[in-house]
Amino acid sequence: MSLVAGPGRGGTGSGQLPDELGLVVQKHVAYIQSLDTRRDELESHLTEHLRISGIYWGLTALHLLGQPAALPPEEVIEFVLSCLHDNGGFGAAPGHDAHMLYTVSAVQILAMVDDFVELEMRVPNGKMKIARYIADLQQPNGTFAGDEWGETDTRFLYGALNALSLLNLLPPQRKDEPPLINVTAATDHVKACQNFDGGFGVAPGAESHAGQIFTCLGALSITGELDSFLGEEGKDRLGAWLSERQLDDSGGFNGRPMKLVDVCYAWWVGSSLAMIGKMDWIDKKKLTEFILRCQDPEEGGIADRPGDMVDVFHTHFAIAGLSLIGYPGVMLVDPA
Amino acid sequence: MGKYSQDPQWADITPLPTDEGGPNPLAAIAYSDEYAETMSYLRAVMAADEKSERVLALTEDLIDMNPAHYTVWLYRAECLFAVGGATEQERQKSLRQELEWLNDTALDHQKNYQIWHHRMLVVDKLGSVEGEQEFVEQMFDKDAKNYHVWSYRQWMVRRFDLWEKGELEFTEGLIGRDVRNNSAWNHRWFVVNGREGSEGVKDKGVRTREVEFAMQAIGRAPGNQCGWNYLRGVARKGGMGLGELKVFVGQFAGLEGGEVRSSHALDLMAEILAEEEGGREEAGRALDMLKEKYDPIRRNYWEYRKVMLGLPAAGAAA
Repeated sequence: MSLVAGPGRGGTGSGQLPDELGLVVQKHVAYIQSLDTRRDELESHLTEHLRISGIYWGLTALHLLGQPAALPPEEVIEFVLSCLHDNGGFGAAPGHDAHMLYTVSAVQILAMVDDFVELEMRVPNGKMKIARYIADLQQPNGTFAGDEWGETDTRFLYGALNALSLLNLLPPQRKDEPPLINVTAATDHVKACQNFDGGFGVAPGAESHAGQIFTCLGALSITGELDSFLGEEGKDRLGAWLSERQLDDSGGFNGRPMKLVDVCYAWWVGSSLAMIGKMDWIDKKKLTEFILRCQDPEEGGIADRPGDMVDVFHTHFAIAGLSLIGYPGVMLVDPA
Repeated sequence: MGKYSQDPQWADITPLPTDEGGPNPLAAIAYSDEYAETMSYLRAVMAADEKSERVLALTEDLIDMNPAHYTVWLYRAECLFAVGGATEQERQKSLRQELEWLNDTALDHQKNYQIWHHRMLVVDKLGSVEGEQEFVEQMFDKDAKNYHVWSYRQWMVRRFDLWEKGELEFTEGLIGRDVRNNSAWNHRWFVVNGREGSEGVKDKGVRTREVEFAMQAIGRAPGNQCGWNYLRGVARKGGMGLGELKVFVGQFAGLEGGEVRSSHALDLMAEILAEEEGGREEAGRALDMLKEKYDPIRRNYWEYRKVMLGLPAAGAAA
């Protein structure tokens, strides 16, 4: 899976209104498949550090579009397992160091493709090995580091909980065993990232950002503390902030006040609103029209905003956004 | 023939080409020749655990080609701390040199975050923040909302105890230049409230100062949500009744035929009125104005606020 951008641009080509055009499903499927054959381009090696995540984005989009086998599952598993290190972590591509982010992508892919069957067959006790790699990255204050260098980030924390939950190895999922991680410390840290405006940032004190809000709500949701921590007042305040991300002129979302719209926030903002039950506070019709305007109707693929180059990251988050809104033909997704 | 294979200084190293490719097409990765050669030397020195000046030069070369490759950064940091020099003076000098090189790299690759983590490791080791504020300000001249740079700035404030060393004035300067810079507003909140053990806006003097600061900024740009969010935050945390803001808010949210200069003011006014005895109906009128005229894209939200006040929802009999 190459992460090169383009060739197409969002919103170019046919003069049809997005309403008439709809989501060009077959073209997006073909676009994602085509990325697999574009590894010779210069940009491809510059994005190698994201490769496994690229596969996750492409594959999830294909699943949501109802065509999970459009990327050959055996090849996908083969590639993912070639990124596995002895310590149980995954790198972004063969020969890259293990890192939390790519380990999470690998777990997500393996869960999606065959529910870890091939992993367990080839690596004895493979699931537990991965879980231990993740658990070892937890710091005394509850956060998770991305690698042995100790950089911490709420993205890593959410990723750790997400992956452990997919592996079915979170403490509540195995009550009779000693816990692999300290869930209380992790959630306490997430709570400390809440800001005066009701949002959450990447660390305590950092600016509220829709992407980080998704990770913090996702973490609280996985640990079952979303409702008790936020309460009705907290949800109202956060919902007001999130719904304010929709801009009247374009219908798309930005990720922070006074920033540009970007189609990926259809997911970060949308899933956050869905987790707190406030999805109705946005104008879904305007959002749908915005997302459809970002697609390249001729060659497939979706861009961050109309007129820009398409890529697999934005293609995935745009389709996931449509899924949240219940767009016809796109499968429903779990926001957390 | 490439740069490294022809260089006598590297003659003792047998490069380790990637074993990617093989029968699995998904894993096959085509490199440009130069990048592939340089990577094959990195793999070789990493396998031999070599940490030396020439490895530093090699990683510099690779980072120039692809600054997002996290393995290269990690190995560079290990190398730097291993070969940094025999005396304290030499170590300081090599760390300073590293920062100078990082300055150019950061300015060239603004979206990259590995650079900032690396910088944190170096400055932490150096134990001095000298020159850092100035450099960060140079970054903000290019993009005053860069999230990585703001995270770094907060790290600096905590690590070197800069709470009272010009940070407040710094946010004032940035907000003065762009009153809609939400990152700068957030940093102000952090400087005022983020210090362990400090009262922040719970201190009455601080609260008054911050309320006045926000009001002035709102006066300059009433439609700017950053100022209003900040004002609300200060009032809430500072234990102020919202009613104390009514006269000020009223200037921007004239209800009885007055001019509405800000939907945010109207929003806050609805909240103030709702807290007043007998103010519910008027609050409902403010919410109707938001729904119909000033912020119709969020009509369902405004409708929800009305329902929460016990007012009839749209469509219900009046």
